[in-house]
Amino acid sequence: MPVKVHIHATHRRFTDGQEIVLVEGNTVGECLNHLVQQFPGMEKALFAKKDKLHNVVEVYLNHASAHPNELVKPVKDGDEIHLILMLAGG
Amino acid sequence: MLTSKEKERYDRQIMIPEIGLEGQEKLKRSRVLIAGVGGLGSSIALYLTAAGIGRIRLVDHDSVSLSNLNRQVLHWEEDIGRKKVDSAREKLKKLNQSIEIETIDQTLSESNVSLLVEGCHAIVDAMDNLPTRYLLNRCAIQKNIPFFHGAVQGFEGRVMTILPGKTACLRCIYRGSIPEEKIPVLGVTPAIIGCVQATEVIKYFLGIGRLLTNRLLLYDGRDALFTEFTVYRNPECDHCGIPVASTACESLE
Repeated sequence: MPVKVHIHATHRRFTDGQEIVLVEGNTVGECLNHLVQQFPGMEKALFAKKDKLHNVVEVYLNHASAHPNELVKPVKDGDEIHLILMLAGG
Repeated sequence: MLTSKEKERYDRQIMIPEIGLEGQEKLKRSRVLIAGVGGLGSSIALYLTAAGIGRIRLVDHDSVSLSNLNRQVLHWEEDIGRKKVDSAREKLKKLNQSIEIETIDQTLSESNVSLLVEGCHAIVDAMDNLPTRYLLNRCAIQKNIPFFHGAVQGFEGRVMTILPGKTACLRCIYRGSIPEEKIPVLGVTPAIIGCVQATEVIKYFLGIGRLLTNRLLLYDGRDALFTEFTVYRNPECDHCGIPVASTACESLE
């Protein structure tokens, strides 16, 4: 059973409108790399540079914060990753 | 003590078993700082004033402009050009004359934040930028004042309640600065998020329910969905992290 990645609403234009993308990997980083392989547009949306997420991107694993060192957090089949964007307006 | 007029005014919430006369008196004795009187601040201030929070301090340096009016419902067309704190105070006093509304027409900064929060029992985040939120977060922790975070963008919003020294703070999930830019907001989003923040403030003063502590509540109006995520205190947080010395003490226990 693969890992489910929940795509942020503003990123769904990069995933053909898909809200959930199924990926494989042993860590959050591997899962996100697999996501980018499937949908290359997600790379710029998520990563400032290789292995460095944009500061605005938050990662939650099974509904709990994966911060800090999100990318090396281990995942197992059936886990869920949510990609969320920091908000600043008022 | 509540006056007979106040008992009548707040009757529908005094009827709530968790509130009662005692709870209403607690609200009357409470002092709240609302940092920002924009979109979030409008709904927070309106509902805390209506609920009978005794003293409300509003801080905002800005003046009302036409582009504010889609979301900042305390300000009307006739207020364009006025100081937001003056416009807000006038409306809030018309809503509930008995509430003390203190206005401070200043920009929150490193040098004045400590003075501005002085005497308040709760700090409510209604800012429109992250740097000032972090100033408030740090000050709240230093002064041990609960901090009620809220933020919005577009159809989305988020809320988290911070009890200094006990629960994850805003900085615990800090990933670095983000570019400051003009932020799109649908008017109803800060109304919803501000009302959740106001609910948290009221619950805190009454000592009831389950606060959004160590819980980040996300709202997405597009999907009409609330989602909750667990957040953790970061021992290395530069605002609320456990000092090395006390960590060492704890490990000896």
